[in-house]
Amino acid sequence: MIELSVSRLNKRFGGNHVLKDVSFEVKGAEMIGLIGPNGAGKTTSIRMILEIIKPTSGEISILNGRSALEVRDRIGYLPEEKGLYKKMRAWSIIAYFATLKGMSRKDAKHRAFELLERYGLKDFANAKTEALSKGMGQKVQVLASIAHDPEFVILDEPFSGLDPVNQEVMEDVIRDLSERGHTVLFSTHVMSHAERICDQIVLLAGGKKVLDDTVENARHIIPRKLRLESPKSLQFLEQMGDVLRMAPIDEKGDIIVDGQGQPGKLWDVYLSEKAEPIDVIEACLREGIPLERFDYSPPSLHEVFVHLVGDQAKEASFR
Amino acid sequence: MRAIFMIALREYAENAKTKGFWIGLFLFPVIIFASIAVQRLLEDSTPTRHFVLVDQSGAYGAEIREDIDRAYRSSVLMALNGYALEHAVNPPEAKEIDLEETPPIDMAEMQQSIESHMGPEMGAMLDEEGIESMLELMSAPFDGLVEDRPEFEMPRPAFLEVPLPKELNADASVEELSEELRPYLRGEKTIVVDGEEVSLFACVLLPRDIQDFVQRPGLMADLKRAKALQDKVDAGPDAKPVRRGGQYWGSNLADSDLKNRIQRSINKTLQRRELETRGLDVAAVAAVNDTTLRLSALDPKKEEGKEEVSTADQIRQWAPVGFVYLLWIGIFTISQMLLNNTVEEKSNRIIEVLLSSVTAGELMMGKLAGIAGIGLTMIGVWMGSLVGILGLSAGPEAEFPTMLLEVLTGSGLIFWFVLYFCLGYLLYAGIFLAIGSLCNTIKDAQNLMGPVMLIMMVPIITMMFIPKDPNGTLATILSWIPLYTPFTMMNRAAADPPMFDKIGTLVLLVVFTLFTLVMVGRVFRAGILRTGQPPKIRELLSWMKP
Repeated sequence: MIELSVSRLNKRFGGNHVLKDVSFEVKGAEMIGLIGPNGAGKTTSIRMILEIIKPTSGEISILNGRSALEVRDRIGYLPEEKGLYKKMRAWSIIAYFATLKGMSRKDAKHRAFELLERYGLKDFANAKTEALSKGMGQKVQVLASIAHDPEFVILDEPFSGLDPVNQEVMEDVIRDLSERGHTVLFSTHVMSHAERICDQIVLLAGGKKVLDDTVENARHIIPRKLRLESPKSLQFLEQMGDVLRMAPIDEKGDIIVDGQGQPGKLWDVYLSEKAEPIDVIEACLREGIPLERFDYSPPSLHEVFVHLVGDQAKEASFR
Repeated sequence: MRAIFMIALREYAENAKTKGFWIGLFLFPVIIFASIAVQRLLEDSTPTRHFVLVDQSGAYGAEIREDIDRAYRSSVLMALNGYALEHAVNPPEAKEIDLEETPPIDMAEMQQSIESHMGPEMGAMLDEEGIESMLELMSAPFDGLVEDRPEFEMPRPAFLEVPLPKELNADASVEELSEELRPYLRGEKTIVVDGEEVSLFACVLLPRDIQDFVQRPGLMADLKRAKALQDKVDAGPDAKPVRRGGQYWGSNLADSDLKNRIQRSINKTLQRRELETRGLDVAAVAAVNDTTLRLSALDPKKEEGKEEVSTADQIRQWAPVGFVYLLWIGIFTISQMLLNNTVEEKSNRIIEVLLSSVTAGELMMGKLAGIAGIGLTMIGVWMGSLVGILGLSAGPEAEFPTMLLEVLTGSGLIFWFVLYFCLGYLLYAGIFLAIGSLCNTIKDAQNLMGPVMLIMMVPIITMMFIPKDPNGTLATILSWIPLYTPFTMMNRAAADPPMFDKIGTLVLLVVFTLFTLVMVGRVFRAGILRTGQPPKIRELLSWMKP
C-alpha cells in the first residue's frame, strides 16, 4: 500500500516559488524523515499534505484518499510552532483533540490518561499546560496528535527547542509510535535524529527534492574518508584506483596548505563511494608500510547533508 | 456538525471557567440588588443633620422650627404606615395597584400635601398612646396587626437643631457669629448634644435687619437689585460684602434639603404676613392656593378609553435604556472573549492542529456557537436575577420594584432584548472574529479595534436622547443602520415604533448579519493561517471575493 504519494507539487506565494516539482512516495516505510535546511519547503509541503493550504499545482494522495480532509481522522499532526491552550489541563487538551478527530468524549478521556501514564506524565495529567515545562508541553502535544490512534502521524520539527535529554526522549516516543504500527513522517534539519530513526529520508533544498532514499544508501553517495597516521610516506596510495584524493593534515584535523607547514604523519584519504576501506590496509601491508592509526567511520548523514546542500543553505541564509 | 459541537462545547467550557465570565455574571445582579437596597440604605444611613439657628430678628425662628417638626411628624406617620402594612394580618397584595390605570405620582407634591396636614395638633398624637391608636387605625382595613412583631421604632429625625455653643454670644453681630462658627462647620470643633459629640452640618443666621432684604416685585425693586449687583461687580471680587441679610452656612453643597426647607419656610411666613398686613384672609388664600386642576397626560397611540398616560407607560418608556446598556455590555464583553481566544489560538499556532482536524468554516461556526452559549447564559442569569430580585423585593411597601417587575414581565421587552442580543452578537462577534483572524498579537488586535470601538460608542451616546423622541429622525436613521439596529430598536421598543420600522430593520439586520458572516468566513479562512503583519485593505477586499 502506498501511504503517501506526492507528485509534481508546486507552490508559489506571490512571486515566491517555494516548492518546485517535488514528488515522492511513502510505501511500506515506517519512519520517514523530511530533511532540509531552513526555508527548504518542509513545512509548506507538510501543510499541503494536510490540506491546510492548497498547492499551486500537483497531486497529493494520502492513505488512498483524494484529500487529507477525507481521511483526516486517520492522520495525526504536530505543527512546527508548538502551542497549547494555556488554561486547559493536560488530559483535557489531549482528549479535546481526540474528540475533534471523531472519538467519543468518554473514550477520549480514557485514552488521554492512558497515554499520559504510558509516557510518564501521569502526575501532570491535571496540571494546566501553562505550568508544564517546554519539554513536557511538547510531549503533551505529541500525545494530543496521536491520541486518536492515527495510521499516519506527521510531526513538523518535533525536536526543536528541546535539550539533548529531551530530544532523546522524543526520539524514543517516535520510535515507540513506529513500533506500534504508526507510519511516522517527521521533518527536521538536525540530521542525527533522522540518521538514528529513519527508514527513508527525503531531502529538500531550495524547494527542490535533492535526495529520496534509505539512510544506508544515502551514506554511500559521498566519498568515504579515512584518517591515517604513518611514520613513512603514504604518497603511493594516490596510485590506487579507489582513492580520489588525499591531503596532509595537522593535529587539529585542518588540511595543511602548501607552504604553510610541513606535511606530517597525518593524512586524510578520500575513497570513492564503492570502495572498501579494508583495501587500503591490505595495500599498506603489501607495501610494508606501518600504520600507527587507521580511522574509518561511515559518512554521517550530516556530512551527506552538508555535501549536498551546504552551499545552497549558506547562500539562502545570507540572502 | 459534530466537530462544530465539540468546538462550541470547548469554547463554552473554557470561557465559563474564566474570572471575567463570573464577574460579569454576578456583577449585574449585585448592581441591581445594590441599587434597590441603596435607596433604603441611604435613607437609613444619612445621618441626622445638626444645625444651629440664630434668629436675632425674631421673625422666622418659630415658623422654621415648626416646619422642621412638621417634616419629622410626617416621616413618623410614613414610618407608621409602612410598619402597619408590613405587620398587618392580611397585608394588601401589591397586584391590587393597577399600574395601567395609575397616573404617574409626583412624590414631592405628595409629601408636601401630607406635611400640610401635620400641624402642631398632630404633635400631641405622636406620643406612645397616640402611636398605638394610629397603628390600630392604619391596620384596621387589613384585619389588625400580627401578634409577634418587633417594636415600632421612631425614625431618626432628618434635621435636629442644636443650641449655640456656650462660648458664643447669640447677640453678637452676624459677621462675628459666622466667623466663630466656621471651625464648627469645617468639623474642626464639635458640639456636645446629649453627651454625644456631633459635628455641625449647617448654621442659619437671621440678622436683626433681615426685613430690609425682603424683595418685592416691581420695576423699582428690580432696578435696585440690578444696581446692587452692578456695585458688587464693580467692587471686584476681593471687596468684602458688608451686609448679607439671612444666611445659610453649610459646607455640604450636595445636600441642599435643609436649605430648601428653611428657604420655603421663610417665604411662606413672609407671604402670610404680607397677606395679613394687606388685610386679606390668610385661610382663604391658602385654600385658594391649594385648589388645583389636574392636567391629564394622554397618549393618542393608546386604545380608546385608555389613553391616559400611566405609571406603567412611564416605566415602559425608560426601562429600555437599561436594556440597551445591558445589550451593549453583553455583546461587547463576549465579542471581546471571542477576539481574545482567536488571537490566542493564532499566536499559539494551535490553529494548525485545529485546521488539520476541522475546516475553517467548522471552526468559525463552533467558536461563534460556543461564545453565543456563554452570552445566552449571561443574559439568562441577568434576566433571571432581575426578575428574581425584583420579585423578592416587590411588596406592598416597595412600589418601584413591583411596578418594574410587572411592566417587564407584562411587555415584550424581554423578548426583543433576547432577539436583538442574538442578532447583535452574531454581527459584532463576526466582525471581531475576522479581526482576530488577522492579528497575531493582542496588540495588533487593539490597533484594529480602535475604529470598531468608535462605531460602538454611538449607541451609548444616543441612548439617553432616543427615549425623548423615540420615533424622531435621529432614532429612525440609526435604526436603519444595521450596526445600530439592535441598540436603537431596543431603545425605541417601548415607544411602539411603526410596524414598517420594526419589521424592515429586522429583515435588514438579518440580511446584513448573514452577509457579514459570509464575508467574515472568507476573511477568516484566508487570515487564520497568516503570520506577520495584518493585511492591507486591498488584500482584505480581495479575500472577500468568492
